[in-house]
Amino acid sequence: MNNPFPLSRDGLLTAYRRMRTIREFEERLHVEFAKGDIAGFVHLYAGEEAAGVGIMMHLEDHDRIASTHRGHGHCIAKGVDVRAMMAEIYGKATGSCAGKGGSMHIADLSKGMMGANGILGAGAPLICGAGLAAQKLGHDGVGITFFGDGASNQGTVLESMNLAAIWNLPVIFVVENNGYAESTSVDYAVATDSYVDRAAGFGMPGITVDGTDFFAVYEAAGEVIRRAREGGGPSLLECKMIRFYGHFEGDAQTYRAPGEIEENRAHRDCLKIFTAKILEAGVVETGELARIESEVVDLIDDALESAKAAPLPSAAELTTDVYVSY
Amino acid sequence: MPMRAVGIIANPVSARDIRRIVSHAGNLPINDRANIVLRLLTGLAAADVADVVVMPENGGIRTQLMRTIERERRMGTVRLPDVTYLDMPVTSTFVDSAVAARRMDDMGVGAIVVLGGDGTNRVVASSCGQTPIAGVSTGTNNAFPEFREPTITGLAVGLAVSGRVPADIALALNKRLVVTVNGRHEIALVDAAVVAERYVGARAIWKTESFRDLFATFGEADGIGMSSLVGLTGPLDRTTPQGRRVRLAPAGAAPRTLAFPVAPGLIGRVGVLSVETMAPGVPCRPSVAAGSIALDGERELTFGESDDVSIHLETDAFRTVSVSGCMAFAARHGLMVHQTSSPCHEGEPR
Repeated sequence: MNNPFPLSRDGLLTAYRRMRTIREFEERLHVEFAKGDIAGFVHLYAGEEAAGVGIMMHLEDHDRIASTHRGHGHCIAKGVDVRAMMAEIYGKATGSCAGKGGSMHIADLSKGMMGANGILGAGAPLICGAGLAAQKLGHDGVGITFFGDGASNQGTVLESMNLAAIWNLPVIFVVENNGYAESTSVDYAVATDSYVDRAAGFGMPGITVDGTDFFAVYEAAGEVIRRAREGGGPSLLECKMIRFYGHFEGDAQTYRAPGEIEENRAHRDCLKIFTAKILEAGVVETGELARIESEVVDLIDDALESAKAAPLPSAAELTTDVYVSY
Repeated sequence: MPMRAVGIIANPVSARDIRRIVSHAGNLPINDRANIVLRLLTGLAAADVADVVVMPENGGIRTQLMRTIERERRMGTVRLPDVTYLDMPVTSTFVDSAVAARRMDDMGVGAIVVLGGDGTNRVVASSCGQTPIAGVSTGTNNAFPEFREPTITGLAVGLAVSGRVPADIALALNKRLVVTVNGRHEIALVDAAVVAERYVGARAIWKTESFRDLFATFGEADGIGMSSLVGLTGPLDRTTPQGRRVRLAPAGAAPRTLAFPVAPGLIGRVGVLSVETMAPGVPCRPSVAAGSIALDGERELTFGESDDVSIHLETDAFRTVSVSGCMAFAARHGLMVHQTSSPCHEGEPR
C-alpha cells in the first residue's frame, strides 16, 4: 500500500507515539493529582495533542519553543525526557529543573525547550530573543511561542509581535484556542475576537487551522516554519482545539455545557481522528499501534514509580541555579 | 403577502486558510465583516425587509454587529430590520454554515446572503435546498460571488424576496458539478480539481505540480483561482449548458505550459494536455487512479485505486439572486422612486 501522507511510515508512528505519550502522561496525572501528593497546580494538555505534535514534528533541537502554564504536551512533543518531567512535577531532585520548577516551569534547553511559564504571555518576548539569536548567529533555527486567548490580551504578546515584525524575526506565534480563557468569555474580554486580525495589525500573515486534525496542523505548520527559516519573517498560527479537562485540575467546569466533554471525546478526539486515518489508509496496522500504546503505558508507569521514589532536593540546593552570570 | 425573512451567513472562519502564507491572500478583519453585514442590513431595510435571521458564531462578528446596531438604534438615524440569531450549536468550523443554511431553508426564508468566497458559497449551496443565495465576495478566491458593494446586494435581495421584482428576472439558475465517490455525493459551484496528493491536510491547493484534472462550470479570462485556468484556455460563461475539463500535468511535462493566478498574489505554472467540453449528465473519471479532489479550491475527498469516482455536470441546479437584474428592473420600473407630497416647480427636474 502506498503511503498517501506527507510523512514517512516511521514519521507517522513517531507522531502517534508522541501524541499517545502526552495523552497517557496527562490521563495518569489526572488520577495521581487527586491523591494530593503533587504540590501546586497542574494544567493538562489532553485533547490538544495534534497541535503540539503537528508543529513540533518540524523542529530540531536547535529550534526553540516558549511554552505556557499548560506545557506538558509541548515538552513531550519537543523531546524532553518524560521521567525527568514527571520527577519535576513531583518536585524531586531528579526532575528536569532539579525539582525546583514544578509543572509550570519545566525546561530543557538541550532540547530547545525554554520553559513552561506560569506568567501569561511571558513566552512571547523570550521567543523574540531566541529568534534574534538565530538571526544573528546565522543559522536556520526558528522560535515558536504558544499562548491562549487570555494571554493574547497581554501587552507582552502585542509588543513581541511588533518587535518580531520590525526585525523580521524567524518566530511563529501559535494561539492555542480551546475556546476558554480560564472562565472568562472572549466576548467580554477581547475587543476583536480574531487573533489573525491582531497579526494583520502588525503586517504579519496569520492563518487558522483545525487543531484536532494532525495533518492540517502539520501542513500549515510546515509552511509557516519553512517561511521563517527562509527569512520570510514571523507569522501567526491559530489552532482551534479541544481541552478534555478543566483549566486546572480541580476546576468544576460549570461554564461548560452538559455533555460537551463526552461529545468531544467521542467525535473530536484528535488521537482517534489520526488513528482512523492512518489505519484506513493501510499504512500501519492495529497491532503496531497497540504495541506503541503498551510501551507508552510502561514508560509512564516507570516515570511515576521513579518520580515517587526519588529524593527531594536538599535545603542546600535552594539558591543554586537561580542566578546566572554572563 | 407578508414579507419573508432573509438569512445571513457570515462565518468568521472563512478566508483564514493557508493561502495567507503560501500566497499573498488578504485578511478581511472581523470588524470589517461586521460592517459588511451592517451595510447589507441597511439595503434590506430600504427594500422593506423587516426580519433577518443570522448564523450565530463566536468569532466576534455578532459582538461587533450588535454593538453597532444598539448604537444606531439609540441614535435613531438608520433604519434596520429586526435581527435574530439561530438557536444552534457553534462549532467554529464550516459545518456551522451548512447547519445554518439547512435551518434557514426549513424556516422558509426568502433568500440567504452569504459572506465568503467560493468555498463558503459551496457549503451553503450544498445545504440550502431551493432557497436562493446571494454571495458577497469576502473569501480568498472569489470566482463565484460577484464583487459588489453589499448595500446594493441587500437592496436587490430585498426587492427579490418581496416579489417586487418578478422571480424570472430576480433569480438566476446555475450550473454545478456533482462529485461522487463510492456513492457519496459532494458538489462544486465553480471547479473540482483532481490533485495527486492523497490527504486533505490544510485543504487549500496551490502546488501546481500535483494538479492532474480540472472540471469547471465556467471560467473567465479575468477570473482568479483554478477556474482562471479554463478562462485562459477555453473560456466559458455561467449560463452555457456545458462545462470544461482540462487535463493537466507538471509544467514541462505537457506540450503547453500555462501561467495562471492560482490564488491572490500567486502565479503558478502548469502543463496543459487538453481542453475538453463536458456535456451535462455525462460522468467523467479522473485521470489518475489515486489522489484527492478539491472542491472550489479546497481538498475535501481522497480516493484510491479501489474507489469508484465520477464527476458530472448539472444545469439549472440551484438559484442565485441576480443583483444586476433586480437593480436594472428597479430602475426601469421606478421601484426606488417615492412621490413627494409637494409638486416640483416648473423648470426643475422631475
